[in-house]
Amino acid sequence: MQKDRLISRNFLLFGLLGLLAILLFILDIFFGSLLIPFKTILHVLTGTGDVNPEIKSIILDFRLPKAITAVIAGIALSISGLQMQTIFRNPLAGPFVLGISAGASLGVAILVLGFSSVFTLGLFTISGSWALVIVAWLGSALVLFLILAVSIRIKDILTILILGMLFGSASGALVNILQYFSNESMLKSFVIWTMGSLGSVTKSQLNVLIPSVAIGLFLSFFSIKSLDVMLLGEQYAKSMGLRVRNVRFLVFTSTSILAGSITAFCGPIGFIGIAVPHIGRLLFKTARHKILIPSSLLLGSIVMLLSDIVSQMPGYESTLPINSVTALVGIPVIIWIILKNRKFSSV
Amino acid sequence: MRNQQVNITVQNLSVGYKKGKSFVAIKEGINVNAHSGELIALIGSNGIGKSTLLRTLTGFQKALSGEILFNDRKLGSFSIKELARVLSFVSTEAIRVQNLRVWELLAMGRYPYTNLMGTLTDEDNRIIKRAIQQVGLAGYEDRMIDQISDGERQRAMIARTLVQDTPLIILDEPTAFLDIRNKYEIIHLLHDFVKTENKTVLFSTHDLNISTSEVDKIWLMLDDKVVEGAPEDLILAGNFDQMFHSNKVYFNGESGDFMLRKNVIGTYTLKGPEGKIFNWTCRALQRIGLVYTETDPLVMINIPNMEENPVWKVEINSKERLEISSLYELTAELYKRLSGL
Repeated sequence: MQKDRLISRNFLLFGLLGLLAILLFILDIFFGSLLIPFKTILHVLTGTGDVNPEIKSIILDFRLPKAITAVIAGIALSISGLQMQTIFRNPLAGPFVLGISAGASLGVAILVLGFSSVFTLGLFTISGSWALVIVAWLGSALVLFLILAVSIRIKDILTILILGMLFGSASGALVNILQYFSNESMLKSFVIWTMGSLGSVTKSQLNVLIPSVAIGLFLSFFSIKSLDVMLLGEQYAKSMGLRVRNVRFLVFTSTSILAGSITAFCGPIGFIGIAVPHIGRLLFKTARHKILIPSSLLLGSIVMLLSDIVSQMPGYESTLPINSVTALVGIPVIIWIILKNRKFSSV
Repeated sequence: MRNQQVNITVQNLSVGYKKGKSFVAIKEGINVNAHSGELIALIGSNGIGKSTLLRTLTGFQKALSGEILFNDRKLGSFSIKELARVLSFVSTEAIRVQNLRVWELLAMGRYPYTNLMGTLTDEDNRIIKRAIQQVGLAGYEDRMIDQISDGERQRAMIARTLVQDTPLIILDEPTAFLDIRNKYEIIHLLHDFVKTENKTVLFSTHDLNISTSEVDKIWLMLDDKVVEGAPEDLILAGNFDQMFHSNKVYFNGESGDFMLRKNVIGTYTLKGPEGKIFNWTCRALQRIGLVYTETDPLVMINIPNMEENPVWKVEINSKERLEISSLYELTAELYKRLSGL
C-alpha cells in the first residue's frame, strides 16, 4: 500500500539525516583556528590513545561544548519555530520575528542592568546561569502572551507578525534605555552578554542549558497530537474536544523555555526557527507533528552545525558572528516560502 | 453513538454577542426542534444571525438566555470532550493547510477517541476508510488537501465529521463557493447519511431551490421570528414571502424559488401543443415582462411546428405578423417593439 511506502521513505530519510548530523558534529569539532589531525580528535572523543593535554583541553573544553551548544540551539530554536507556526497558523512565525528572543533579551537586561549586585557572583556560576535563564524565560513568555492577547482580537496573520516585530522593537528600546541609565560595570557585563555566541557557552552553563532545553522538549512532545488538530484552526480544534487554552499554555511555556534558554546563553539567533520547519515539511511532505518534531530536531542540529562550521571560516584565523551566518542560510528559505505562498495560505 | 436516537430542543433561545459589558441580542425567542434522521436547512437572509445561531448550538459561544437541550440534557452541562462525541462541525472557512493528506485530515476526526500520541487502532482505520468511501473519495487518500478541488475538499471535511462519529452534524454554508453540480451532490450526500446512519444534520444555506427539494425540515429565520416546518408547509403558509422587504424580489410559490419582479410591458396568448417548448416559451416571455391572458392579448403567438426546428408565428396588435426561429430573436424583437425603445 501507498502508506507503507511512505513510512519506509520516512525511515530512510531519518536515517540519512541522523548520519549527516553525526558527521557534521565531528566536522564541527575538527574545524577551528588550530588544525588538529582527525585521528587525534577521534582519539580524544573515544578516550583512547595518548594525546597532548593542551590539545585535549581545546577539544573537550572548547570545541566539544561549542558543538553540543550548536546542536542544542538548533533543536530548541527549530522546535519553538515549528510550534509558533502551528499555533499562529502562520508560515512566517518564529521566535525571532515574533519578538520572543527580544523579550528574552529584555529579561536579561533587566536582571543584569537593574540588579547588577546579583552579578557580583558573575555570569558564569551555576546560580548566575539559572538566574539568567529564568529571566529570559519570563521575558519570552511576556512577549508571547502579549501577542496571544492581541491575536484573539485580530485574526490576520500579517498583523500578528507586524505586532511581533513591534514588541521586539519595544523590548530593544527598553534595553537601550536601561543601558543609558546603568553604570559602567553593569554595562560591561551586559555588553559581554550581548556578544554571546555558541562558543561562549561554558561547560558549567551547559549544565543549565541542557536540562532547560530538555524540559522544553519534554513539554513539546505532549502537544504532538493537539498541534495536528490546531492546524485546522481554533473552531475545529474545539469541535474535536481540544482544550485550546490548555494547549496554548503548554506550547507557549515550552517555546518560552526553549527560545529563552538559547537567547540567554547564545544571544539572539535569527531565522533558524522559521526556516528549519519548512525544510522538514519540504523533505517529509507532511503536516503531522509526529514527523515534523523529530525532523525539526535533526534538521535544526544539521543547519546549526553547518552554520557554525561556516562561521569558523576554515583556513582563516577569525570567526564570523553566528547570527549573520544563520541569517544568510535562513533568509533564502523565507523568500522561497513567500514566493510559494502568494496567497498566504496557512502552514 | 451510531444509530442513537437524538432529540434537540431549542427553547426560547436568545443569541447574540457581548459588546463591552452588555449583551446585544441578534435574535430572541427561538423555539425549534430537531430529531434523528432529519436533514434540516437553516435559511435566512444575510446578517440575520444564522452563523450566530449555529455557533451557539455548537457551544462556541454562550446563549444569552433560553435553553438548548440535547436529549433533555442542557448543552451547557457538556464538557468540551463530551460535546466532541455528540456534535461535529464544518465551518465556512476554507482549510488550506499545506502537506496535509486527505487521509490525515480524516484521521484528525478520531481525536476525541485516540490516546495521548494519537495512535490509530484498526477500528479507527476501518472507520476512516468507510467514511472515505461514503463521500466518494476512494483513491484520494494520499492527495494533499490544498491540491484537490473545492468540492472534493468539502467532501473531505464532511467525511471528517463522519469519522468523528457524532449523532449531530452542523455545517455552516457547506455549499457556498461550489458549482451547481457540487451543490446538489453535497446536499444529496448529507441526505444519504441522514437516512442510512440515522443522523441529524443541520446546515445553513442560501440555496433555497436545492434545499426545498431535499431537506426534511427548514428553520427559517425571519426578521421578527424563527419558524420551522417542512419546506412545503412554509411555502403554503407564505413564510418565504416575508424573507425580504422588497418590491423587486418575490417568492414564487409555484416554482419554489425567488424571482425578480418585472415591469409589465404587455399581455400574451400562446397556442401550441403542451410540452417543453411551450413551457420555455412562457418562461422567456415572462422574463421580458409579458403577462399571460386569455382575452384580448397584445401579442398572439402560435407554435405550429413542434419538430426539430420550432418556429414561432407572432401577431402583434392584430396587425404586424412575424415568423421567428429562436427565442432569443423573439424576446429581443418583442421587447424592442413593446417597451417603446
